[in-house]
Amino acid sequence: MRRCRLRKEELKAIFTALEGTHRVIGPKLEGKTVVLSEITFDDLPAGATDEQGPGKYRLKDERSDSVFSFSPGPDSFKKFLHPPVQEVWKFKYSPKEFIAENLPGEERPLAFFGVRACDLAALGLLNKVFLDGPGPDTGFSRRRRDMLVIAVHCLSPHGNCFCESMGTGPELRGGFDIAMTELEYNFLLEAGSPSGERMLELLHCEDAQEKDLRDRDALILSCKKMMTKTMNTGDLPDLIYRNMEHPHWAEIARKDLECGNCTMVCPTCFCNSAFDRLSFSSLSKNREERSGDRKKTWDSCFSKNFARVHGGNFRHSRKARYRHWMSHKLAYWFDQFGTSGCVGCGRCITWCPVGIDITQELEALRSVR
Amino acid sequence: MYDKTLPFGASIKWIKKETRDTATYALRILDREIGKEYCFKPGQFNMLSIPGIGEAAVSISSSPADHDLLHTVRVAGDVTTALANLSAGDVVGLRGPFGNGWPLEEAEDRDVMIIAGGVGIAPLRSVIRHIVAAKKRCPGRDIVFYGAKSPKDIVFRDEFPRYRDSLQVFLTVDKADPEEYWKGEVGLIPRLFDKVSLKPLSTTVFMCGPEIMMKTSARELIMRGFPGEKIFLSMERSMNCGMGICGHCLFGPKFVCRDGAVFRYTDVAEFLEVPEI
Repeated sequence: MRRCRLRKEELKAIFTALEGTHRVIGPKLEGKTVVLSEITFDDLPAGATDEQGPGKYRLKDERSDSVFSFSPGPDSFKKFLHPPVQEVWKFKYSPKEFIAENLPGEERPLAFFGVRACDLAALGLLNKVFLDGPGPDTGFSRRRRDMLVIAVHCLSPHGNCFCESMGTGPELRGGFDIAMTELEYNFLLEAGSPSGERMLELLHCEDAQEKDLRDRDALILSCKKMMTKTMNTGDLPDLIYRNMEHPHWAEIARKDLECGNCTMVCPTCFCNSAFDRLSFSSLSKNREERSGDRKKTWDSCFSKNFARVHGGNFRHSRKARYRHWMSHKLAYWFDQFGTSGCVGCGRCITWCPVGIDITQELEALRSVR
Repeated sequence: MYDKTLPFGASIKWIKKETRDTATYALRILDREIGKEYCFKPGQFNMLSIPGIGEAAVSISSSPADHDLLHTVRVAGDVTTALANLSAGDVVGLRGPFGNGWPLEEAEDRDVMIIAGGVGIAPLRSVIRHIVAAKKRCPGRDIVFYGAKSPKDIVFRDEFPRYRDSLQVFLTVDKADPEEYWKGEVGLIPRLFDKVSLKPLSTTVFMCGPEIMMKTSARELIMRGFPGEKIFLSMERSMNCGMGICGHCLFGPKFVCRDGAVFRYTDVAEFLEVPEI
């Protein structure tokens, strides 16, 4: 695969090459948070720095010389490929007729810019959920059609990162079209797919040097050394299955606010609920005839009604709901999809208003009895 | 293959009231092509939708060999209430079938014991009809235990006399109505096990009903020597998508809609023991 180097001041060339053909989704400052949005080159929060800890996200005043000096914010791929609210089908209905139809396809394919290794791993997991099952999610596959991924090696972790121990990062391990490494004066660009190759040809950049690759490896190594948080996954999923009635679940429930933030920011949490929306006009005319659409929204297993059926609720206690979330991530996923459902991005720790730390809670299950 | 994510229209051919809160709906798929292609296994379910209200998972209560596609529904939530307000000729949306269905191959050359509670008899009706239709079976070897709240709540009550020719039928209620003469049983299903000569090693058990009923029945049968591998139960959870992509029906690591709703007891026994899993 082709490797080349692009001078930092020429980074815009990537955006120019995608103009007109793709919607570029990348990091952007919104208020004091780095979010993912449809962006142009000028939106990149180059030089922004942030600090993350349990229940803490702060944009710092200090600026950096590098472009990717910031860490990922709350958003991930999920926001675009499995959007918070999405239309599923449209319907026309009268007591004598029912017609449901799929929605038209997307206009322009998406190009994700500046994706980190943890999020790429998460995309791999969402693929397993939405594409490999018996009922492929038509919306998900439609949205990711012809998608391009321009990823970047993470070179400095934030305080909640533990991707290395989850085996997902900080270096990119595949699934990208182009992998970028931010070196001192250049970006090292490495193609990971035929589309990535074609893109690099369009950029007319010079070939990469041996030294660039050595620099890349050294930077990744130093990133790994800076990452202090870990999750011990050696005894998963059994550890969870053995401890379904551990007293520590009740301890967690005492701090837990059940806001559902962790499920919203988690790049692999996929749960959703469907509801029908009737169009206003259809109500005003003939009451018998209705039209509208079926929508899907993100749902959270922390919501009280998540496991409700008529006449009862399978998880009525807070303890059970937290246990369900963490058990799904760290145990059920192994049985369902052959892998952990946690990629170690640390978002659930950062965005938890009370700073519940999944790595520490797991440790507590292991030690306290 | 038609798209299982998209509902198609089905009109109500007829409605039969079963009990005060339960009715059976015969549906006819409007689209001819889909109607030809549509097929299901006993124990599978469909998602019925009333546009503007929502969707509900409803098990199919007819056998694939039957002429009509039946759904037996107890009024419980928004969708089932809306359904109860419809009449013959009206149209609903239908997606499916979903779920794995009963493993009838596990019952070949074996005795069958059916244990049902409440409207849980609906997905088992197709198994009963399957047994009744297979005339070569020795009469009296297969057993049905069915429990309902009261005699008035017995679903398919008019059909059981016919089934008695082919199966041993035991009906039991939590409480007999004082105004009605009740010659059936009163009490929980496991208490009826003494009434028959059980053949633990040559019987396959299919059960569907309240979880506590299935759990206590399974435990009791295992105590009496039934192998857990030959006990199958149909679980209930909140089904939303039918395809394992919405997460609502998770029962431990199992997607009830896709890995079930029928499970081998030994595959889920450990999860049945965890409260609120």
